[in-house]
Amino acid sequence: MAASMVPRRMCGAGVIFHLKCGVRCLSVSAARNGKFIPPVRAEAPEIPGLEPITYADRMYYVPGLARPRNTDWDRGWSDPRYYRAPPPEQMKLFREQPAYLFHRSCRLLGGVKQALWLTKTKLNNGLPQRIMDICEDPVYQIPNHEELVHNVVANACLWHRPGDQPIREEYCPKLLQGLLHLCQKQNNKFPALSQRSLVENCRLAASWHRESSIYQVRGINGFLLSSKNPLKPVASESEIQATKEHRLESLYPLSPAIDLQEVNVYEERNDAGFRPGYPFPHPHTVFVMDPCSTRAGFLPDQLRAKMIMLAYGSALAKARNLFGEDAKVLPEPILVQSIGTDGQHFHFLVFQLNTLDLVSEDGVKNIVWMDSDQSLYSSARLVAKVKRKIVEVPAGVCGLQPETFKKFWAMYLHGAN
Amino acid sequence: MATRRVVSMLNRDAGLPAHLRRTPVPVPTEAPASLYPPIVASLTAKSKSASRRRVEEHYKLVHNAGSVTEKLKLITGLRRLKYVVYPQTFALNADRWYQHFTKTAYVAGLPGRVAPSGANGTAALGEQELKELKDLVCEALLQEYHYTHKGRTYLYRDQEVSAAPFLRSLVSAISSRCAAFNPLLTQACMDQQPQVNFYWCRGETTVPRGKRKGRVDHVRFQIDDKPLVQIRVPQQLPEFVPLDYTVPGEIPVINHEPSRLPLFRRQYENNVFIGSKIEDPCKFGHTQLHLVPDKFKRERLSKLNLADQVEVFLRANAIASLFAWTGAQAMYQGFWSQDDVTRPFTSQGIISDGKYFSFFCYQLNTLALSADSDKNPSRKNICWGTQSSALYESVEETDVKGFNDDVFKQLVQVFLYGSQ
Repeated sequence: MAASMVPRRMCGAGVIFHLKCGVRCLSVSAARNGKFIPPVRAEAPEIPGLEPITYADRMYYVPGLARPRNTDWDRGWSDPRYYRAPPPEQMKLFREQPAYLFHRSCRLLGGVKQALWLTKTKLNNGLPQRIMDICEDPVYQIPNHEELVHNVVANACLWHRPGDQPIREEYCPKLLQGLLHLCQKQNNKFPALSQRSLVENCRLAASWHRESSIYQVRGINGFLLSSKNPLKPVASESEIQATKEHRLESLYPLSPAIDLQEVNVYEERNDAGFRPGYPFPHPHTVFVMDPCSTRAGFLPDQLRAKMIMLAYGSALAKARNLFGEDAKVLPEPILVQSIGTDGQHFHFLVFQLNTLDLVSEDGVKNIVWMDSDQSLYSSARLVAKVKRKIVEVPAGVCGLQPETFKKFWAMYLHGAN
Repeated sequence: MATRRVVSMLNRDAGLPAHLRRTPVPVPTEAPASLYPPIVASLTAKSKSASRRRVEEHYKLVHNAGSVTEKLKLITGLRRLKYVVYPQTFALNADRWYQHFTKTAYVAGLPGRVAPSGANGTAALGEQELKELKDLVCEALLQEYHYTHKGRTYLYRDQEVSAAPFLRSLVSAISSRCAAFNPLLTQACMDQQPQVNFYWCRGETTVPRGKRKGRVDHVRFQIDDKPLVQIRVPQQLPEFVPLDYTVPGEIPVINHEPSRLPLFRRQYENNVFIGSKIEDPCKFGHTQLHLVPDKFKRERLSKLNLADQVEVFLRANAIASLFAWTGAQAMYQGFWSQDDVTRPFTSQGIISDGKYFSFFCYQLNTLALSADSDKNPSRKNICWGTQSSALYESVEETDVKGFNDDVFKQLVQVFLYGSQ
């Protein structure tokens, strides 16, 4: 725990000891041990019509008199070390109407339901038939994949560093990179796979109106696999028309903007993060990792909501780029996939963007296919868990489920077969 | 009183793990030829022969250890102050020092089997494939340096923004393409920013102060390295030259203390690690790629009037990193300083700052570096290396200017090595 999180009054090492935090407060001197440090006195409120008596003219501190308030000294040039941002109202991009921002550390309380409402999307459970066909077709299988996946999982979770078992922050990215490398190694068998490019820390900006509010997806998008050719839409025209009857679940009594960041200084931009002429313009798959805190991980539902939002954001930015700002129902729907993981469970998602007209509840909806909570393995431990001489969880990688990797591979291969 | 002291001496190792035991377990000997036990030096006396006997007993323990894990545990069990060698160092002329520490001869130019003009050059790839691969590299370059919007970063961490992603995508693009021609790469395992450690002893010194003052002790070294990307393969790479090949060059001998480089001593756990534990089937190295930090980029060095140190830095980095990695691979096969390698171990390295590339090949011929095992002066480790040269001149608005085909072919050749 950082010392700054402890209130100043408690910042003596002894006080912390009494609080039983189990940490030493190294940012303060040990001489403060056990001493009471008086709290900083709150400033007296300003009362209109009354002038506070300050110790300004005495030029030294007098207890009982108010602290003088001096105007900021203008040094006459701009020094970046002492820059102070102007109040939001004076900023160039200030708007009266607030926008609600989704960024990568937002956890939606409403989960998938909220994300579906925000993006006006109909949820289908299970992956589309086209991807399941790739998954089951023996032509597309990687030979010997069970052993390879086992090695990837063991390398990420057990082997990649000496000493103790790695924590989630370490093994989650390693696992994703290992699986991606396993897929990339198949490039020579499927030459169309080399028409892909993996971008790290892709920046995304997308904004849309939904029922008189402005919503935005901003910030760093994680890993984005983009390709030269777009994915063909999964749902046919009749299926898209059939979504007109679908009613979205309302979030009442929660506000749909709950847990989104409310800002007044913003710009309505749609930008997939690339300059025009980029050779891999079509977003293919967004790889989302749990922000991987061992203490406060995302709930699976929140992770799925994040995947929907990011996939939707990429698709929206692409659609605005292709069909202009004012397009309503897209002539050619845009398909973006997303794979999310917390280091053990995987969620697979296919998002089809059918319409940009999100203001009203009527009309065509977007469609999402989701296959959630697919665990890749049941446990990976360096040391077996033994209780009363009975092995509860054996050492090593247990309960490996290669079907989950098959789905991962089918999603990766989709569009290149 | 005296009895009690003797008993406590005998019992002092009662609860200790095997690798920390000071009194070795008596080995039962089978049917002695003589009626009397052999006369050996005492284990506990304060004499030179006794200390020699203790060392020998320890070596015997390591030789008789059942598995490699046991062996490594015994070798690295004793924690003492050791010099921490940083592969990417600010020290001036570090390459000569590092050559001395690792007993490495440096040879300019690459060995014939890796040079692009060699027997198995890039001829395996047709013109068409080379062109496609070049397009891929250019696309990756433009993607990171032009097409993607990048944000700001911290001071001295600029290389993380464009150069590191470019090099990562370069390695994955080339290795996945070359896998068609090099079946070794289809079984390879790629680590991003893995941990590589090596611990070894070289030379002797007298302990200057403290409880052990006046004793002759090994000088210990530890390398903790973190390459940007490394590729491990399940089969050993073929050797560059035979084990008994004599290198023409001499290894510089430095008669100063390592602390004059400067190097600093710390005491923490001794690690020997190739980036993965022993259970991993991919336990041989193929290629490591190191990123030159912003602190050592050539513009900054030439501004500091250290332009001659640019190549020296790269050489020192290659020698230290590749020695650590290759040595750890050899130790994973059960070799150690008293049980020297019977076959050479090889690995390759690329050091780059995103623009300038230099290539290195390392062959480990000996692990016997400590003072009591360094008996064979003709056995030397060899490091081959090239001067750094630019892959391209500049990136201007969707166009790569001055793409250097020689560097590119060399790059591909590194990934093709080991295909036969």
